[in-house]
Amino acid sequence: MPVSRFQSESYSNDQRDLAWREFLDAIGLLEVWSPEILPASLGNYRSGLAHGKMPDLMLARLSATGRELSPIARRGVAPLIVLPLDEAIEIVRGDEGIVVRGRELGLVPTDPGWHIRFGRNSRTVCLTLPEALLLGRRSTNTGLAAPRVFPNESIVSIFAAAIEATAAEMERLHGADWAAVAQQLTDLFFCLPRKAGSDVAQRLAFSGLLGRVAQTIESHLGDNDLNAKTVAQMEGISERYMQRLFKRNGETFSQYLRERRLQRARALLSSPGEPDFSVANVAYDCGFGDAANFNRLFKQRFGQPPGAFRASITEARRESAGGVENRGWPISALGRFQPRATLARPARRLLPAKPSNSTAQPGQTHHLNVGPDTVHWGYFSRSLAPVLSVRPGDHVIVETLTQHATDARELMIKGDPAAEEVFFWDGERKGVDRRGAGPQDASVFGRGAGEGFGVHICTGPIHVEGAEPGDVVEVHIDDMTPRPSRAPGYEGRVFGSTVSAWWGYHYSDLLTAPNPRETVTIYEVHQDDDGSGHAEMLYSYRWKPQTDPFGVTHATYDYPGIPVKSGSVEFEPPPDPPLRVPLRPHFGVIAVAPREANLIDSVPPAYFGGNIDNWRLGKGTSVYLPVSVRGALLSIGDPHAAQGDGELSGTAIECSMTGRVTIRLHKRGTPIADITYPLIETADAWVLTGFSHPDYLAEFGSKGQSEVYAKSSLDLAMRDAFRKARRFLMARFGLTEDQAIAHISAAVDFGVTQVVDGNLGVHAIIPKSLVPGCKE
Amino acid sequence: MRHFTLPVSPKTVHWGYFSKSVTPALTLKSGDRATIETLTHHANDDYERMVKDDPGAEAVFRWTKEEKTISRRGAGSIEPPFTFGAGEGLGVHLMTGPVAIEGAEPGDILEVRVLDIRPRPSCSACYAGRCFGSNASANWGFHYHDLIEEPKPREVITIYELDTSGEPIAKPVYNYVWTPQTDPDGITHPTIDYPGVRVDHNLVQHRENIMPGVRIPARLHFGTMGLAPSEAEFVSTIPPNYTGGNIDDWRIGKGVRMYYPVAVEGAFFSVGDPHAAQGDSELSGTAIETSLTGDFEFILHKKDDLEGTILEGLDHPLMENDNQWAVYGFTFPNYLQTLGLEGQSTVAQHSSLDLAMRDAFRKLRRFLMTTRHFSEDEAVSLMSVAADFGVTQVVDANWGVHGTIRKDLFS
Repeated sequence: MPVSRFQSESYSNDQRDLAWREFLDAIGLLEVWSPEILPASLGNYRSGLAHGKMPDLMLARLSATGRELSPIARRGVAPLIVLPLDEAIEIVRGDEGIVVRGRELGLVPTDPGWHIRFGRNSRTVCLTLPEALLLGRRSTNTGLAAPRVFPNESIVSIFAAAIEATAAEMERLHGADWAAVAQQLTDLFFCLPRKAGSDVAQRLAFSGLLGRVAQTIESHLGDNDLNAKTVAQMEGISERYMQRLFKRNGETFSQYLRERRLQRARALLSSPGEPDFSVANVAYDCGFGDAANFNRLFKQRFGQPPGAFRASITEARRESAGGVENRGWPISALGRFQPRATLARPARRLLPAKPSNSTAQPGQTHHLNVGPDTVHWGYFSRSLAPVLSVRPGDHVIVETLTQHATDARELMIKGDPAAEEVFFWDGERKGVDRRGAGPQDASVFGRGAGEGFGVHICTGPIHVEGAEPGDVVEVHIDDMTPRPSRAPGYEGRVFGSTVSAWWGYHYSDLLTAPNPRETVTIYEVHQDDDGSGHAEMLYSYRWKPQTDPFGVTHATYDYPGIPVKSGSVEFEPPPDPPLRVPLRPHFGVIAVAPREANLIDSVPPAYFGGNIDNWRLGKGTSVYLPVSVRGALLSIGDPHAAQGDGELSGTAIECSMTGRVTIRLHKRGTPIADITYPLIETADAWVLTGFSHPDYLAEFGSKGQSEVYAKSSLDLAMRDAFRKARRFLMARFGLTEDQAIAHISAAVDFGVTQVVDGNLGVHAIIPKSLVPGCKE
Repeated sequence: MRHFTLPVSPKTVHWGYFSKSVTPALTLKSGDRATIETLTHHANDDYERMVKDDPGAEAVFRWTKEEKTISRRGAGSIEPPFTFGAGEGLGVHLMTGPVAIEGAEPGDILEVRVLDIRPRPSCSACYAGRCFGSNASANWGFHYHDLIEEPKPREVITIYELDTSGEPIAKPVYNYVWTPQTDPDGITHPTIDYPGVRVDHNLVQHRENIMPGVRIPARLHFGTMGLAPSEAEFVSTIPPNYTGGNIDDWRIGKGVRMYYPVAVEGAFFSVGDPHAAQGDSELSGTAIETSLTGDFEFILHKKDDLEGTILEGLDHPLMENDNQWAVYGFTFPNYLQTLGLEGQSTVAQHSSLDLAMRDAFRKLRRFLMTTRHFSEDEAVSLMSVAADFGVTQVVDANWGVHGTIRKDLFS
């Protein structure tokens, strides 16, 4: 039996709900509640992959936000087994409920009325075992009247691992495999403890009430004056009754509260995210009034004072890290990933879009120059104050800088006042301090503010008047010109840099020594008489460890904008005869602000655009981006003089450029506004951007900025590009699915956009000549 | 220079396999030219338009209770009882050849130039002179387990007409959903699981006037072209491999020069799987499958003469045209070696673009380092800024990614 699947990118917005319900119905699940309208700013990402249908073996891997599902009522003894992979879910009926935390195992009764409730971006595996295999075998875990939850330990952990592994391999299992898997899983199921875990049993015994109280406590742990009285008030029960609830659990309210506070503190101290967040701050954050008391209690509980505990953890981590290059957030550091990270960019004046001039006709031209106040480096954020406000139809002449200008400072920065300011870095100060979405205090790897979790210098954001979530912003590139050098002796010439970097596709696969190594190649960019141009290799050098002005040594190219000390590297001459690389000027990064509250790493592209790295995004081309926040907050950067499909070494010919763009707004409801991904339109084709994980922030939830680097694959990107191409042909031209697929096979070219940006990209090129007269 | 003609006939085609032991249909010397006819194995999707009254095609496709002119279709078993039919459809392409090249030995490289390609017009009275093709959205397609409309799953045949009066294009004519078809030997084919089964048009429902106005830009090319491998007597035509075969790159059309490593004495070149149009990825499992005739020129490069040429060190297919070179990366560069002979059926379980990309990267790096004498650093940098990687196909079990590099870089 094949797997069935639902993936929201397959469907136009108005068809998603129906298709989702059909998918669930086919596996025996019912959506009993969904948010009436999920705000566009929350996203509408859902995916599911399933095999079988109840009451046979049914296995499904679901990812969804804010929904309630229920097994379709039926007679039988097999419970619905649920395994949330990261975020907790709840099993609820009316007012009753129980929380299944990440990696715990929940059993949902088949009795009507029990639902599972997804929080935000919950990824959960659901399983039912074949009724036929359960009948005749006795277990306290079949024919349940109430849900049960098992902590992930001992045999439960093995069962859970088997379920997760089966879910991961679902698409590669064949007929006979499934029978064997069903038998094995059933055998493991009968090994489950006869009783649910002890704390869980109690959670259950008091139905949802104690659970609710516990949740209230969790969300107020930091309140120093949280006490039994205030909690009871919040829950609308008497303090005495609540104390009794706890007592029946064998502990008092204050014991419970203290334990939770100590556990939270321990988790904070273990996290690599904030090692210089002082112990006193941790104490305060966890609701301890004074540090001395906290130290004493912590030592009593964990046998070590908090400071020493953290030092031992940090030491252990340093040993295990061992200089391995890491892109994005390491998973271990995500615990302290701050949704409300503060932005260390200087507060900026909003450059007036001549707002007083409200009668001005659209179509005016703005100038947006680079400078420390008009760029953000290495991240996107909805919290950034815009630097310019435009009306739809306006033009912007926007300067951009390549973050690789420091590779040849003498050619690409020197004498250029704006570039000098942006790249400024001495022992005291940096022109732009934060570079990347990491912690400002560089407490993960110590590379520098922002940790280089994101590297691109982006100009903006630009506020687009009237843009609302659900609309689409179009950026049309009218023109692009390289930024000429102002360095003495090189005035007017143009230079660019390519780094064969540790994040390149080749890096782990080098043939010649030294292995591994990073290489920087400097090109000169020439304009040819026929209007085209080419780049010629000037020289190259191997990266050597560089100590930045703050004293941090960068053994690899792990932080953007590091000044390369003259004399520290050896220049190699270019090959002879010289190579002439034809130019393809384009912007690697064009983004609107993502809907998520965090700072978002600029490296992995996704639904909001970002680091698309498609060389077709140059002069004469438009990109359409779905708006997530009011005003869109558009940023442009990562200028490239040339790049191949694949961007194999990790970078293009990175070269500062100035663009002239026209910004248009397509309101919700117009055909183009159906897109939920960056769509490129060239003179003769649509180029649809497929990604390994089209909405990785939703798909992986809080782990997105780490997982996307680990889980990405071209196979998945191809799958996404196919779905988007099918949907585009169906929604846009009214083709049936069969017609769309026949077309795609005969006339749509799929190419490898990039294999180096974490979220790998495959694009689909749909020629406009396919359907004459369909031009916008 | 001599010029030969190789028409299709039961004596000049072999179906579904490459073989070093089939008697050559033609033996040539290096430098000879030949006009070679090819038939699409999908012609029986619409017998009336693509087979009827065409003597060559009629003879090759003849299959009645009494007679099946070409019994073996595929590298599978030829001992009954059959699941699908003789050869078991382990390999599906109708191949014309083999063409043996005098003096070719393992280690040599055979260059095949495609000088021209022409469609094969219909001979049937109603359609005489017009050209047709078939696209099957088939069970081996990338979409098959990922359909969104009912019924799921399903296979669909779309018939196209080729219009070469102006800029060549293909226009859809009608389509139908595949229904179980019973062949003359009594085996029922619930899906497209055996090549050359004549579809009974009383059993399928035509949907006419589909996609009015749609124009598919034509890209005439040969999907399967290559040499006999040495590993086995009969090797499925489906997975492409180090001697070429089912590469399914639409760039392999007029003006191309293909280079293949010779694996057996005489090289044993075969060509088939003609396509009128295909996109990079061949997503539905097939292109617009159309019978074509090509003019070819064969040049043998002896192994001792390769040094210092672009063929030095070549152990995989290489494409050259006026503007670019392309190397072909596969999930497994030689799947027969990696997976053994069972690989012909099991390679489909390992399909991966990620591995194909890795292979394409390595092949292009080697090409640049060996033939242009770049250092590894120069080659990697150049690939990042000037080489384009594309998805060749995701439907031929041994998936393909091609890496192309433009020649004007070096001028």
